[in-house]
Amino acid sequence: MKLVGSRTAATIIFAAVALTTAACGSSASSGGSSGGQGGQGAILIGVPVPLSGEYASAGEDILHGAQLAAKSINSAGGVNGRKIQIVSQDDACQASTGSQAAQKLISQGVAAAAGGYCSTAAFPELQAFHRMGIPYVMDASTNPQLTEQHFAEAFRTIGRDDEQGPIAASFITGFLHGKRVAVGNDNSTYAKGLADATINALRQDGAQVVFNNALTPGQSDYTSFLTKIGQAKPQVFYYTGYYPEFGLLLKEAKQLGLKFTMMGGDANNDPTLIKTAGSAAAGAMMTTAPLAQFLSSAKSYVDAYQSAYGSSPGPYSSYEYDAVGVVAQAIKNAHSTTPGKITAALKSISYTGITGNFHFDSAGDRKPANYIIITVKAGSFAPYKEYDSTTKQWTNVS
Amino acid sequence: MSAFLQYVVNGLTSGAFLALVALGYTMIYGVIRLINFAHGDVLMVGSFIGYEVVVTLVAQHWPIALIVVLALLAGMAFTGGLGMVIERVAYQPLLNSSRLAILISALGVSLALQQAAQLIFGAGFSAYPGVLTSAGFSLAGAHVSWVQLGMFGLSLLLMLGLYLFVTRTMAGTAMRALAMDKDAAALMGINVPRTILLTFMLGSVLAGASGVMQGLYYTEINFFMGFLIGLRAFTAAVLGGIGNIPGAMVAGLLIGLIGSFSDGYISSSWSDAIIFAVLIAVLVFKPTGLFGERVAERV
Repeated sequence: MKLVGSRTAATIIFAAVALTTAACGSSASSGGSSGGQGGQGAILIGVPVPLSGEYASAGEDILHGAQLAAKSINSAGGVNGRKIQIVSQDDACQASTGSQAAQKLISQGVAAAAGGYCSTAAFPELQAFHRMGIPYVMDASTNPQLTEQHFAEAFRTIGRDDEQGPIAASFITGFLHGKRVAVGNDNSTYAKGLADATINALRQDGAQVVFNNALTPGQSDYTSFLTKIGQAKPQVFYYTGYYPEFGLLLKEAKQLGLKFTMMGGDANNDPTLIKTAGSAAAGAMMTTAPLAQFLSSAKSYVDAYQSAYGSSPGPYSSYEYDAVGVVAQAIKNAHSTTPGKITAALKSISYTGITGNFHFDSAGDRKPANYIIITVKAGSFAPYKEYDSTTKQWTNVS
Repeated sequence: MSAFLQYVVNGLTSGAFLALVALGYTMIYGVIRLINFAHGDVLMVGSFIGYEVVVTLVAQHWPIALIVVLALLAGMAFTGGLGMVIERVAYQPLLNSSRLAILISALGVSLALQQAAQLIFGAGFSAYPGVLTSAGFSLAGAHVSWVQLGMFGLSLLLMLGLYLFVTRTMAGTAMRALAMDKDAAALMGINVPRTILLTFMLGSVLAGASGVMQGLYYTEINFFMGFLIGLRAFTAAVLGGIGNIPGAMVAGLLIGLIGSFSDGYISSSWSDAIIFAVLIAVLVFKPTGLFGERVAERV
């Protein structure tokens, strides 16, 4: 029954999205001739996101974020006297569809693109935009390789996977005063990369890595893995894999009476973890990009989203909101909708968004990357500490 | 020393769960010479049935002991029935055709159960509500929880029950006779189809019990969980000499210990490699298993 329900719902949503997209497409083609080339029509910003398939709901959240950003920019008078218009295309989280989505957006005459969800689809999208010299500000794709290609057009408002490690290390040594640290991963590319980055940073910070090993995901019993960690006598254990295993690790560590502090990477921010670990989840910490709900600067955004769409804004829509916002700011700074000039303006921009202040480095990565520490409190995730770069202290998330 | 003892405790716990599953493999192989690849998935179904019972009854604030007993009984009853249905639908019509046909049928059942569970219960993880205490005691530096002890005891009890059933009852004797020689057993007046059905039911009941117990103990379950557990239990069945019931019990515990020691002394990421290397070594050097008398067929 559940399946039938969700399928029907998905079909309706898909149909609705298809209609919306078609409507946008037609309005885009009517305004396109003047839109791209400095006329008085709306400035088009392309949003490629998954609107069908497994990640459709994440894609919708992101699209909603873009639409709210356009709405707030337009109600404040638009950009250089013109309105912003969001044009979306479904990339289905697939490489081939992503490439087509980008092509469609280009042919609709977008001045810039802001969006994306899956790194898989983001790669070909970036390629396509790069060929046309159109800047692409990504809101959710964290794969380091995306900006490592050094395309001038690549930007992102979210941190990279390999920036999380140094932040985790800094928290472990600076705030938890961990001198002996254990690091575990699950042998996946993401988790191993994060583990390596963390270990390098821990050593630089003067901590001793007393355990570094991978577990086999999908097992239920990690008690001997944990017993082995216990033998190394760490003060802190940082696990860089995913939530199903970390939930079990938390639960079984408590059962074994192990006393070290446990911390996970950003793949552990999932309610299943709390259900699996039960009371053992209390006090567990994770490094993660902050959810909009945790940021005071994003409070009015969360409220606006809630009243417009009746749900919480999801993990990435606030980064999309800032992606659209930073593009609009760049167009304003450049006094032009020529993609090349927007790219140049993005390179030198300094922007205050709802997810914090940031600029882009030469590769297009967000600086400073904003990871925070969250913790499990009373059965749900709550913000805990963030790094204040002016006082060089870990402070409560404001 | 305390670490060694802890590895033993950890290994015996996971080994007891495996032994229950290995028994099903071994019994079914004994009577119809089939490696029942769907066995791990029967365990998974049992785990989900137990989950539904626990979630429903916890919401209505029933006493915990009663919930645990009812979840176990529901899981065992359902998987027992499921085992019989699978036998009738997927294996019975193929009993006289080639071994390969029935093996492929088993793989088909395995996939069907997995996909059905994915559609009904979702692709994500489900977690049993944490109803059991994590309290325990310290034994020469090793932590043993009461739940761990209870689960181990219950597994041994179920295994003892099965052993007594197979050695002391008429139906059990019929099963053993069937395992020795199907045609001769039929000539002696044993109802062969019924005995096969009974064997499937017993094996599936034990898998269901193991599934609910693992759910209660580890809390986290998903539609794919039967695969790895099934492989490890199958290894245990081969190690014990497939078709040999006491052998499967001992080998289940042994595989649990091997997994635990390789987690502890080598590396967790090597555990499966080591366990399956044991499987290959047994098949190559001692195909009859550690306690086996019959020659195992190579799959």
